[in-house]
Amino acid sequence: MLAVFLLYTVLRGSSTPTLTPSQLANHTGKLAVVGVVVAPLRGDSHSSTGLRFGLRNIDGRSGVVPVVYRGDNPPPLFKVGRNVVVSGSYAHGSLTGDNVVTKCPSKYTSPPASKAA
Amino acid sequence: MADLGRAALVVSLGLVVYALVAGSAAAVTNRRRLAVSARNALFCAFGSTAIASAVLALALVRHDFSFVYVAAHTNRTLSTAYALSAFWGGQEGSLLLWLLVLTGFGALAVALNRTLLRDLTVWVVPVLGGIGTFFAFVLVAVASPFATQTATVDGAGLTPSLQNPYMVAHPPMLYLGYVGLAIPFAFAAGAMLSGRTDERWIVATRRWTLVAWMFLGFGQLLGAHWAYVEVGWGGYYAWDPVENAALMPWLAATAFLHSVMIQERKGMLKVWNMVLVALAFELSIFGTFLTRSGVVNSIHSFSKSPIGAWFLGFVVISSLFSLGLIMWRLPLLKARTKLESPLSREAAFLYNNLLLVALCLTVLWGVLFPIVTQLVKGETRTIGRPYYDFFLRSFGLPLLLLMGIGPLIAWRRTSVRALARTLAWPVAVTLASGVVLVALGAGSSRPGLIAYTFSAFVLATIVLELVRGTRATGSVARLVSRNRRRYGGYVVHAAVVLLAIGVAGSSAYGSSTERRLTPGESVSVAGYTLTLRDVERKRVPNAVETRAVLDVDGRWAGTLSSGDNHYVNPPEPSREIGLRTNWLRAEDLYVIADSANPKTKVAFVRVLVKPLVNLIWVAGIVFVLGSAIALWPDAREQRRLATRLAPARA
Repeated sequence: MLAVFLLYTVLRGSSTPTLTPSQLANHTGKLAVVGVVVAPLRGDSHSSTGLRFGLRNIDGRSGVVPVVYRGDNPPPLFKVGRNVVVSGSYAHGSLTGDNVVTKCPSKYTSPPASKAA
Repeated sequence: MADLGRAALVVSLGLVVYALVAGSAAAVTNRRRLAVSARNALFCAFGSTAIASAVLALALVRHDFSFVYVAAHTNRTLSTAYALSAFWGGQEGSLLLWLLVLTGFGALAVALNRTLLRDLTVWVVPVLGGIGTFFAFVLVAVASPFATQTATVDGAGLTPSLQNPYMVAHPPMLYLGYVGLAIPFAFAAGAMLSGRTDERWIVATRRWTLVAWMFLGFGQLLGAHWAYVEVGWGGYYAWDPVENAALMPWLAATAFLHSVMIQERKGMLKVWNMVLVALAFELSIFGTFLTRSGVVNSIHSFSKSPIGAWFLGFVVISSLFSLGLIMWRLPLLKARTKLESPLSREAAFLYNNLLLVALCLTVLWGVLFPIVTQLVKGETRTIGRPYYDFFLRSFGLPLLLLMGIGPLIAWRRTSVRALARTLAWPVAVTLASGVVLVALGAGSSRPGLIAYTFSAFVLATIVLELVRGTRATGSVARLVSRNRRRYGGYVVHAAVVLLAIGVAGSSAYGSSTERRLTPGESVSVAGYTLTLRDVERKRVPNAVETRAVLDVDGRWAGTLSSGDNHYVNPPEPSREIGLRTNWLRAEDLYVIADSANPKTKVAFVRVLVKPLVNLIWVAGIVFVLGSAIALWPDAREQRRLATRLAPARA
């Protein structure tokens, strides 16, 4: 019963597709994109033209999706090369973001294997 | 040094494998000397893991950058306390801490119960050995903290936002909670393996469960407070998978702590208790898998770690082991009595358990949803705050109500009339509170008003119980000392009420506004007026600080500053909030200044007023106090239990 209840609630539309830049091709509308921030970073999120940057797959295997972000300043850790989740609307090959979540300083990441003896 | 650490870990692995294999053989063949040697192996495993831990701690304090782990998580500018906190700041170190606590807790629990519960502890040792084998193997073969390199001049350092006293205490508290849940799990498995499924394993592990539950609960509140003051987004809980990973086992353990009382008193819910203790343990391991495997996106980490697959394997194997044991021992887990009435204390406990488990499964479903949709639809979908908030209200508010009804309702059965008579005063207080709250404007949020009035109801029942008890015993101190478990529980209930009021107040009745300000311009919210005086920038050792300085007027007069710090080493920024706490109202004035520019003197200022938010942190202190009262040794209770369990021991 609980599972049915949960499924019902979920199917009412409270979920959001969470995609990588390479998966965006056939999508439009509200979604979230997980990727790595690509230069150049231009503009200001508080201005009418917004903060502009690109997103690429974290594994590097994708083209760059242009992003226009308007709203509160992105979190302090936001910068080129950082992994982020941008929520917003996707249309005509461009993402208009209204929320950015930056990866928290990871406590769980292993050091790169090349450093290990 | 690193060689000593590696060797100590290999010895630990050998010892826990011996505890598993020899302990199992001793339990099956009933060979006492072999059982003693397996037990001693578990004790020695704690010793060797302590040596490995001391090696890592020493390397951290000495800034020995020939250790890859030390170079990756510290640098020379870190104080000794923060350098030491890097022990649990990284994956390998936290796994070592896990093994240290597991072997330490396990050795102590077995040592304390080896005489009274000999027939049971012979099986507990191999179960703990099995869990220890997994962690020791991962540390030796997959994620060693003792990997070395050519020593670097300096290390990468600890991210500035983690250089916070809360971050020194929060992770180890969670680990103490996670690992502590392994003890009741091991005793439950031992009870089923030995066929001694009476209440003794519950009595033996009650305090262990309470300790684990207390650390897990308090650790989460510390993490929430860190997020509130350090991350600077104005909230304290984001329903992120990493946060949910700690919440789920805590909810399962809360249900377990309630349902064991029914088994102790009535001999009911034996299967349910086995399921709950296994669920709490499995969720603590599963949470680690989720956060470290990279299978779900979290604000805490996106990186995939090789240990994720090992943790998943361990969760699958240990879940099958638990399920198999419960199925095998079903005939021994039959209830001695049955539920006599849906209007009884037992029934109230049952409803409480169903709601807690439903909430736990709701969170689990939310965490798993992206994985499920990826598998089923080929597209990852996530569910956010509206989903969690809806179910928190749906299950949390009835739970709050039950917290008030449960302690007042009679065991076995009661009539509607008797229940109405018992609840008359608390209901009257609740209705009066509701009227006053509406008159004060609390009716603007229905969930908030319900949370407040239900909280008033629970507090009224607690006061009623204390008044009744004090009349009978003569003083509150005597009353509490005669039944620490019960009254400690009431104090914990009061903490939950404070938490509910704090969450409802800060989320349902909070105010916020945002404006672009230049010097002399103001922004007003909830009776406060903030005027930008200046935007300043200055250099301090290891950082450049930028601050928007705001003069505050209205309900409080003073100055608040907010902005950001850009650190030199490591080269990371951090957001710095402005905070003014009014303890009389338990209210915060919370200021976030974005893009503060010392040249243009422009700052984007967001101001939040969060009523009653500080009750959440007060709840943490009351929660620990109540847990400590319930944990305190109680000679009367021990005698009562000893008398009740005497036939089982015979």
